[in-house]
Amino acid sequence: MYAKRSTLTPTLIAIVGFLTVCPVAMLVIGSFSTNLGTLGGFTLEKYIQAYSDPELLDIIVNTLIFVVGSSFLATALALFLSYLNNRTDIPFKFMFRVISIIPMMIPHILFSVSWVLLLNPSNGIINLFLRQVLGMEGALNVYSLHGMILVEALLDLPIAYLIIAPAMASFDVALEESSRVCGGSSLRTLFRITLPVLRPAIMAAFILALVRSLASFAVPSVIGMPGRIYVLSTHIYRAVSTGFSADYGKAAALGMIVLASSITLIYLYRFMTREGEKYVTISSRGYRPTVIRLKGARYPLFAVVGLLSFILIVLPVLVLFYTSMVPYSMVPSAKAFSMMSWRHWIAVINDPISLLSLKNSVLLGVGGATLGIFLSIFVAYVIVKVRTKASGLLESLSFLSFSFPGIVIGVGFMWFFVQTPLYATIWALLIGYIATYLPYGVRPLASAFVQVHSHLEESSLVCGASRVQTMRRIVIPLLVPGIVSGWILMATMFVRELTLSVVLSRPGTEVLAVQILRFSEDGLWGRLSALGIIMIFISTGLVVLASWVGAIFKPIQEE
Amino acid sequence: MEIQIENLCKRYTSGGNTINALDEVNLTIPANQIFTLLGPSGCGKTTLLRCIVGLESPDSGEIRIGGETVWSGKDNIYVPPEKRGLGMVFQSYAIWPHMTVFENVAYPLQTRKTDRNVIREKVAKTLAFVQLEGFEDRPATKLSGGQQQRVALARALVAEPKVILFDEPLSNLDAKLREETRKDLRVFLTELGITAVYVTHDRIEALALSDSIAIMDKGRIIEKGTPKDIYFRSEHHFVADFIGRTNLIDAVVTAQEPSATIVDCALGSLRCAPLPRTNPGDKVVLSLRPEFLRFSDSDKDGPTNRISGRIDSLVFIGEALEGEVLVNDTSLFVKVPPDSELKEGDPISITVSPANCLLLTK
Repeated sequence: MYAKRSTLTPTLIAIVGFLTVCPVAMLVIGSFSTNLGTLGGFTLEKYIQAYSDPELLDIIVNTLIFVVGSSFLATALALFLSYLNNRTDIPFKFMFRVISIIPMMIPHILFSVSWVLLLNPSNGIINLFLRQVLGMEGALNVYSLHGMILVEALLDLPIAYLIIAPAMASFDVALEESSRVCGGSSLRTLFRITLPVLRPAIMAAFILALVRSLASFAVPSVIGMPGRIYVLSTHIYRAVSTGFSADYGKAAALGMIVLASSITLIYLYRFMTREGEKYVTISSRGYRPTVIRLKGARYPLFAVVGLLSFILIVLPVLVLFYTSMVPYSMVPSAKAFSMMSWRHWIAVINDPISLLSLKNSVLLGVGGATLGIFLSIFVAYVIVKVRTKASGLLESLSFLSFSFPGIVIGVGFMWFFVQTPLYATIWALLIGYIATYLPYGVRPLASAFVQVHSHLEESSLVCGASRVQTMRRIVIPLLVPGIVSGWILMATMFVRELTLSVVLSRPGTEVLAVQILRFSEDGLWGRLSALGIIMIFISTGLVVLASWVGAIFKPIQEE
Repeated sequence: MEIQIENLCKRYTSGGNTINALDEVNLTIPANQIFTLLGPSGCGKTTLLRCIVGLESPDSGEIRIGGETVWSGKDNIYVPPEKRGLGMVFQSYAIWPHMTVFENVAYPLQTRKTDRNVIREKVAKTLAFVQLEGFEDRPATKLSGGQQQRVALARALVAEPKVILFDEPLSNLDAKLREETRKDLRVFLTELGITAVYVTHDRIEALALSDSIAIMDKGRIIEKGTPKDIYFRSEHHFVADFIGRTNLIDAVVTAQEPSATIVDCALGSLRCAPLPRTNPGDKVVLSLRPEFLRFSDSDKDGPTNRISGRIDSLVFIGEALEGEVLVNDTSLFVKVPPDSELKEGDPISITVSPANCLLLTK
């Protein structure tokens, strides 16, 4: 009876172990290797070269300011939004779901580009407006640390919200009420009771934002690099992409510190969320938290929320679409509208490399997500249902890649793929994607498996069904929602993948985000915007398709 | 169908400690009876049930259902649960949320590759039996707790299993519904004449429902018998205490008579129900259930024991007054009719018939 399981766990450990340990191991080996790109003798040269660079100190300071600043801002905004949603009578609460879900369909690179289009000092639309229409001197410059922090914070806001909001929703209001009864003012209650009780969730959101902004490449490359503000991820990118020969050894040596900090943070996150389980007070008795009446502040506060969702969702798409239609940057006006044409769109459609990147990204999105979810089903099953020491190891392994900064792990994979015939093929990207994004498939499936109470399986066995029948008729149908959301998450991430692809992509294996980065480096904003809009359409199309397929396989909708 | 369990052992290790979930369990569950495994939580009753149904494997021993060995440590036999042909009602009901009532109940028949028309017929018959006609197309999770419970029962019964097993099936219902369902369940099972094994920690449920009860503690079967045997004639300290509220008082045998055993205890010298195989001087335990302690002199037929004391405390709980009577510094738990005029501090005379003074071996 347990024979199948006992071979399943080691097989999965081998697969996941290969996917996660191999790039790290290759990164370490590569960083001590003399040759460029291929393995050679042992040397410490690369470390000396990388860490004696006088510029490095500035880069590390920039990185710290950027990472901590954006994470702090994102967490504070998320806390503010989840408080408004869960605890007050703010109108139109559906907006909060929109804010937490929709931005995921807008790729980070496009979001960053849209801010460049709005706020770059020479011809950003807002700056043009300030100068030409209002006659103001000077300009708002997005190419600054402030600009980077603002844009990155907006990008990390949804994930921070998704962590804090459920904790806020399950918060036992009796804790606050007893503080009020004991004579605490509402402000005192907020700082002495509410925030401390929510601390694990808040810290978890903050740490996750740190990890993501540390790995962020879209913002530093699109906004930071033109302003000559380098952070570690762009510094590594510089080592492999510029100059006469790419120095993967130096990149690996630099990557070690990013990877080490990232892994440390992720384990801290894991520790925090585990501690959190002791803390979180979930009352099962279907209570309704008392709603705080905002009274006069209701609509002004809603205006803030409305503005945020406008900035997060509508503005980027609007700016991109507008830019794709006008011949050059100009303030929206009658003249601008009269000059609109489809020429950038036609140029993109006739560009063979853009078309190839489109094809590759769709292929990687659909194929990669399908394979990734297939693997995730088994991994999540073993983690949740088997629960042995070996499955604990599997859990740790599959969790590890959560901490992988794409660009660093890309360098690690580069060292590996160079030794194999997979180098410069689409398979290299596929394997890299699945390795880096595996937790995004495993997590929704693990929580789906948790919901499938073991009694549901056991009663099927007692009813005379075999294990296979039980899997097919009971377990899989109950997993469909988890499979669908995991697939959507993976597919949209693969379609817009930038950081790993920027290292692994080669002529012939271009993908959308990399092509968009090239357009941005060349200043071809019109074409970039056209391709970007197509990219958003593809992401949205995949989400719709997956939801539709999910609905077919789920005959009875539960509420 | 009879279930025989021989020398069943199962151990868990957690945090370096070994826990004997089942410790040399020997048990014969007679055919066509409602048999209850009763015990405090952690006594091993659910483990035993899960071993019978095949969801867990013991470490050693043997299980036979209707003469067929389904698990044997020494012969290395393991029949998986899907091949045992049993029915089971889970504590959480385990109603599959993605299926309708019909689909849930039809499932065991579908796994046995039954003809479609037969399935429809049998499901309809079983649903009628549990009084759920007309609920076929409802999503199963939309039913109330009591209805879900009956769906679970219908699903366990539909394939006409040899044995049906229940794992605390009433514990998720509220008190009133629990009482009704308990009554219905007894009617259903008696009508079917099926072997039923029932696990619970609720003594009233066990007494009301069962033909026989086995009491478990720390992985062992302590005592076995009909509900009345267990209640009135339990042999063990632990059983007498677990099955109902009682006063347990240390006593010493002073004389053996043909119709009674005389003991000496803190309450004085008492005539008790005979406890054979004891001699004067043996130490025993006297069990006095509060419902047998009377407070009037009216009942004069036959010899009675008379105990005098003073009421120490008295609490009104609606259906009775509960309190403690001090007899020579020994406290007795008593129940007084709710309309009684007794007050705290009053002297009181208690009578109890020798037949209701139960002696237990120590």
